[in-house]
Amino acid sequence: MPSYPKDWIRDLVDRKLPWQLTKQMMSEFKDENRFDHYLAVLQERVPWDDAILLPLGEHLFIVQKEGGERVVKCDCGQEFGDYRENWKLEALVYIRDTREKLDEIYPGHRKCDPEWMELREFYCPGCATQLEVEAVTPGYPLIFDFLPDLEVFYRDWLGREL
Amino acid sequence: MSTRKPLVLGIDAGGTMTDTFIVDESGGFVVGKAATTPADESIGLIEAAQDASDYWDVPFDDTFRELEVTLYSGTTMLNTLLQRRGKRLGLITTRGIEDDVLMGRGVQTWAGYSYSDRIHAVTHVHPQPLLQRRMVFGVTERVDAAGETVIPLYEDEVRDAVEVLVGDEAEAIVIHFLFSFLNQENEKRAEQIVLEELERHGLRDSVPVYVGSELRPVIRENSRLNAALIEAYAAGWVRGQLQNIESAIQTRGFRYPLQTVLAYGGLCNIRHPRLHETFISGPVGGVMGARYVSQLTGMKNIIVTDLGGTSFDIASITDGYVPVEPEPTLARFKLNLPTIAMESIGNGCGSLVKVDPVTRKFQIGPESAGSDPGPVCFGRGGEQVTVTDCNLVLGYLNPDYFLGGKVRLDVEGAERAVREQLTDVIGIDLHEGAEAVLRLMEREAQAAIRSLASTRGLDTSDYYLFGYGGAGPMHLAGYSAGMDFSGVITFPFAAAFSAFGCTTADYQHRYARTVALAIPNDASDAAKADVCAAINSSWAEMEIQAKEELLREVEGEVRFTPLAMIRYGGQLSDLEHVSRFSRLEGPRDLEGLIDDWEDLYARINSRVAKYEKAGYQIFELGMLVTVEKVKPRQVPHELGSPEPAADARKSSRRMYYRGEWVDASTWEMDLIQPGNRIPGPAIIEHPATTLIVPPQQSVESDEWGFLWLK
Repeated sequence: MPSYPKDWIRDLVDRKLPWQLTKQMMSEFKDENRFDHYLAVLQERVPWDDAILLPLGEHLFIVQKEGGERVVKCDCGQEFGDYRENWKLEALVYIRDTREKLDEIYPGHRKCDPEWMELREFYCPGCATQLEVEAVTPGYPLIFDFLPDLEVFYRDWLGREL
Repeated sequence: MSTRKPLVLGIDAGGTMTDTFIVDESGGFVVGKAATTPADESIGLIEAAQDASDYWDVPFDDTFRELEVTLYSGTTMLNTLLQRRGKRLGLITTRGIEDDVLMGRGVQTWAGYSYSDRIHAVTHVHPQPLLQRRMVFGVTERVDAAGETVIPLYEDEVRDAVEVLVGDEAEAIVIHFLFSFLNQENEKRAEQIVLEELERHGLRDSVPVYVGSELRPVIRENSRLNAALIEAYAAGWVRGQLQNIESAIQTRGFRYPLQTVLAYGGLCNIRHPRLHETFISGPVGGVMGARYVSQLTGMKNIIVTDLGGTSFDIASITDGYVPVEPEPTLARFKLNLPTIAMESIGNGCGSLVKVDPVTRKFQIGPESAGSDPGPVCFGRGGEQVTVTDCNLVLGYLNPDYFLGGKVRLDVEGAERAVREQLTDVIGIDLHEGAEAVLRLMEREAQAAIRSLASTRGLDTSDYYLFGYGGAGPMHLAGYSAGMDFSGVITFPFAAAFSAFGCTTADYQHRYARTVALAIPNDASDAAKADVCAAINSSWAEMEIQAKEELLREVEGEVRFTPLAMIRYGGQLSDLEHVSRFSRLEGPRDLEGLIDDWEDLYARINSRVAKYEKAGYQIFELGMLVTVEKVKPRQVPHELGSPEPAADARKSSRRMYYRGEWVDASTWEMDLIQPGNRIPGPAIIEHPATTLIVPPQQSVESDEWGFLWLK
């Protein structure tokens, strides 16, 4: 089972790892300490101290607070509440459901028909970073992207208790 | 003192080892081997040549002085491309297709990948283009698909492009226009302008100009463009490397120019104007060798297998005919360069062996340990287990006789590595595990043979199996087991068979022209006469060019072999056919040509595949020109007694076979005489290879000295 230096993983996150190494990593078996290296790289670049348990997206993480509660947190520090609830309920939402609004990003014929599909953009109330976009039919409930079973993931995949 | 007079030196510089093969006037030969030295290949090849000449007791200084021909095939060319060490290119092309260099072909995103990478699209990526997009200039001009000029060349645009390219310090300029293989007019005019402009800048001699229609005037735009770009990009550097090698051997007394090997078989001077034709030369030597053996012995159908350090290569010869791959891949670029058709899997004796952490199965390759650091047992710092290490652990390899004892193999190191990395991980016995690795490798090799046989429609029982390459004889019994062949054969010079093959080749060039000829099933004699005239004029044109180019490189009598690539009407690909007519004198000759082609077509695709009703089309004509070269003269020997001479017997050694240790007799391969028969279990050793004869099997030497595994 291969193992790579933490620097490689940092470069991979920063998209600076040369393609040949990236391809070599893809073609090899999964490296044994990847997740820990990955978490360490993520942890060292956020300005807060809560331990990251699992990344949820490019800017979102499930973190363990001092009091023990596990919440969704943006890299700016904004918190979205318990990870078992949909974090989108706490985010700012902008819905593109008219031709004019869609035209801003998909000009001309490239856009969808707003009667069939709308775009919902979710922003962080703390730093206004776009966190996620949904493309759904109008009226469709908010999608709950991912509810991980943290305990089982840690126990069965990483071989340690959370 | 020896009376040997070395005649031809063949050099095959592989990814791992450099092999040399020296032949004397009477067909006697000797094999040398040394590790490839990628930084300066001349070091490794001189060492390998010395290794060979040592066996003959010829003073090394005399060897090169007496040689008539030295020919090189190897990986320099390929490495130049892979490492992007070529020239800074500029491209002038038809307006509108400037992005062709970026778009390439879909197949290029995964060409050369392992099976598992091929099915994982996330790994697919276009090869890095050989030039920057900003160095590509589109100029207004257009020739249509019929060869008519529909837009004349806008000359000022060519001048502007050269101005910018000169400013950007282009080191070579390629001109490639759409359909220029049908009508050169615009391209030639553009060349004239580019040369004028370069002259004005004083760069005429330092910036070479390449014209697409002169390099490869054959249909298929992207492949044609790739061929021109590769020639412009790499040929200069490669020729420099080859000239280094040439001067290295010339300072040792060699009197002639160095030769190299073309992708379609045949030799050429390293000053050949289309040097990219030599870039795929590695496995070609073996096939040429097999074809030579086929002519010698009358074995018409052969499946050739080459097991080396990095890969397992397979090809077939049917009725003396070697199939041609018209559009091979080179360094992940598609080229329309006819090449001997070969299949290859990344499964050799230097291949790394690992345990899949999920399935807990062994996995072999595709990565190889190469020659540096090499397998664990070489003791040069290699840490990952290879197939060779498993061979050593099981007693198949003699640790004191690898490369004739030049490399002492570390048995304990190999055992420790196999234990730690493989058998302890799974929890099985060391020897059981090591044998499982070998059986797995042999099974994968056999699967590759079966797949080649079924895709080419071959019945293996009509074919002889040739096994060569440094590791071929060791696994020949394993990968041929359970399959039906006319005979299973290896060679005392198996380790340098590719180099041997090169020594059997003639000087050869190959030319091709695109035409558009249709011969309906009910064509009138008048229509047929027109087709004959078109074919004749195309052949004549190629003969003139060929004679001029080849005679610039070598002296001798030129032999022409006209080719016609024929297909049934509506088919998408054609089948190359060697014409027995040098010119078509009339409709009857054309019918003869078609009949011959149809015979070949039926042999390859079965008789029921013939479809005369569709008529015939010819889109390409070709010409092979050959000048004969001195060759090793193999002569059959009288068969002696089945009992080998006493001095051939070395001693015996324990080897692990099918779960138990057996006592195998050991023999010196070079002392086995024609007629000798050795029953298994036996290990027949050669400085450069080892033949394993399992229990219940035997090996016999025939009148040519070839070894038959029975």
